[in-house]
Amino acid sequence: MAQFNIAHLYPDLMNLYGDRGNLICLKKRLAWRGHECRIQSVGLGQAIDFDNMDMVFMGGGSDREQGLVYEDLITRAEAFFDAIEAGLPVLCICGAYQLLGESYIAADGQKLQGLGFFDFITRGSEPRLIGNILLETQLNGRNTTVVGFENHGGRTYLDDPRLEAFGRVVKGYGNNGQDGSEGLKYHNLIGTYLHGPLLPKNPVVADFYISAMAERRGLTATITPLYDSIENFAHQQVKYKILTS
Amino acid sequence: MLRTILAIIAAKIIIKLSRRFGNQGTVMAGRVARRLDPGILRKLAGRVEKQIIIITGTNGKTTTSNMIAQILNADGHKIVHNRAGANMLNGITTAFIGATNLTGSRSWDYALLETDEANVAPLLKEVDAGVLLVTNFFRDQLDRYGELDYTIGLIKEGVKGRRLRLWLNADDPLMSSFPQDTGLPCSYYGFDETPYDTLENHNSREGRYCMLCGEEIEYLRFHFAQLGVFRCPKCGNQNPEPDFVATDLQLDQGIAMKVNEIPIKSPYQGFYNAYNLLAAVALTRGLGVRDAVIQEALARFQPQAGRMERFSVGEREATLILVKNPTGFNQSLQALLQDGRSKNLFLALNDNAADGRDISWIWDADLEVLAEPGAGITILVCSGLRSGDMAVRAKYAGVDSGVIEIESDLEAGIKKTLGGTGQVGYILSTYTALFQCRKILLGMQSEPSVKAEPRRAYQKS
Repeated sequence: MAQFNIAHLYPDLMNLYGDRGNLICLKKRLAWRGHECRIQSVGLGQAIDFDNMDMVFMGGGSDREQGLVYEDLITRAEAFFDAIEAGLPVLCICGAYQLLGESYIAADGQKLQGLGFFDFITRGSEPRLIGNILLETQLNGRNTTVVGFENHGGRTYLDDPRLEAFGRVVKGYGNNGQDGSEGLKYHNLIGTYLHGPLLPKNPVVADFYISAMAERRGLTATITPLYDSIENFAHQQVKYKILTS
Repeated sequence: MLRTILAIIAAKIIIKLSRRFGNQGTVMAGRVARRLDPGILRKLAGRVEKQIIIITGTNGKTTTSNMIAQILNADGHKIVHNRAGANMLNGITTAFIGATNLTGSRSWDYALLETDEANVAPLLKEVDAGVLLVTNFFRDQLDRYGELDYTIGLIKEGVKGRRLRLWLNADDPLMSSFPQDTGLPCSYYGFDETPYDTLENHNSREGRYCMLCGEEIEYLRFHFAQLGVFRCPKCGNQNPEPDFVATDLQLDQGIAMKVNEIPIKSPYQGFYNAYNLLAAVALTRGLGVRDAVIQEALARFQPQAGRMERFSVGEREATLILVKNPTGFNQSLQALLQDGRSKNLFLALNDNAADGRDISWIWDADLEVLAEPGAGITILVCSGLRSGDMAVRAKYAGVDSGVIEIESDLEAGIKKTLGGTGQVGYILSTYTALFQCRKILLGMQSEPSVKAEPRRAYQKS
């Protein structure tokens, strides 16, 4: 039995649409395998040691809140990016995902700086891209589908050749509604527009994070399969709904 | 003129037919009428002689407007009032047509229009309202409008330049920017200290940041959610002085309180309903209704469909509750847990437009309380179009997987629930499954060997 530490960045500011469901999910799935999980909230100006973290999670926020977060996070950007390069598991949703890029250009032309970890930009535009979404992706060498809900005004364009998308859109909008890509994946970082409870009904994605965390600790033997019939039912129910709508 | 009459006749026929088939959705009638005569709402609303009152906000719209309707009726006024769920332009048009005569010449004293936040601006383009009452702002159905800030902005834009009085909740910091941004006259209602206040709030709280300057707000106390006594340390923004203040709140049996020293009693329950009462008292006092009329009307007023409505099925009692957002869900769960008996619980989650297409909000509700020792959940049946998501939420809240059942069909689900070993049934449902659940419960109630009359919640039998 081990203790895993997950940092929840700016829970007060970046917590739209039930994002906390992802942390509840990780904590439970670790507990069911006999591990403890400590979730450390990190607010504006509070210290964080990325080297001692097993994972980092950041959710979406409104525009104003995103601005505050940028000001704070830019001061720790270097340490954060080094950790990502070293394979730190990170999940960034919606606004947090947009922050990873160069900038966000609002519909009125106003430019908000991003952390610049990757060479991509997001353009705000109407209408908002809203609805259930179905992706196909590969995780831990396995093909899998991912279901979720997206609601974003921003269109993200991945121009960096190092970047691969998190998944291909089967139905829905994804990064920009045009090129069929959704989110981004880089080492153990996933950025995505699938907000809210992404992990609970996509247990494969949840376990991708858990195996990544365990592997970094040299605990690979501990990823026992769980009995996911309820999770899989929910996954299939949404998938069916999306495919038949 | 002929066009108007045609539109009215067509819509009245649709209303009749849809009632015959037991359909609650009368939105279609308004849609057809508006197509036949796009000016119909403006014309009919022009027949309102005293005032058009609009009620908006996240929670409590229906209850508050029903309370106001009850008071205005008791005061002898003729009113037109749209019903819950029919609160966009088509539904409101249906309400006027249902209340008018064939030539559209009937007049009313007041129109009481409950409407969605995003519908305030379009509605004000067609009706000259004198009053807009806002109940509160919580996170609700975000997928329809994006973020809460945006929703608030929509209302402010909608009222700007109109001749309106705003009635605002003095305890909601999210309303702070209304006077400055709209330039309109504002009246306020709010609570004094109550024995139910807390100094800290762990629930999903909105509006942590000042609407005027962006600084984090300091709270002296919370009434519930983000409603409380607040102050911005940077710009000094704080609760406005309420025109109507509620004191001496007691929630033990029903609700008792004083509003500007007038004692008010109601068979409703819960702090959120105390806010609805306060808003109704404030607004109707503002219209000049006498205290005695208000007191009597509210004391007699019973909760209605899905607002804790009670049924008896066989030997057991079942309570139907509407849930539509995290705050309401939490309140319902709290009410349920105050019941010490063992419970068969049913949770129906739909994702139609009126429920909100995005079901993520169930993760902002604290279902964890269902797993607490003493919660007494014997069976938890998850149902509706998104039964799977509900079941996953319950599982991750810590409810024993062995207690969770998935039965997407509402009728089969309710039967399974009420066949459980618990002493009492609780049927929680999102909006578009509510009427069906109610029909199923009524049907089960009138089956042989069971009492025929529905027992309404809190009615003394």
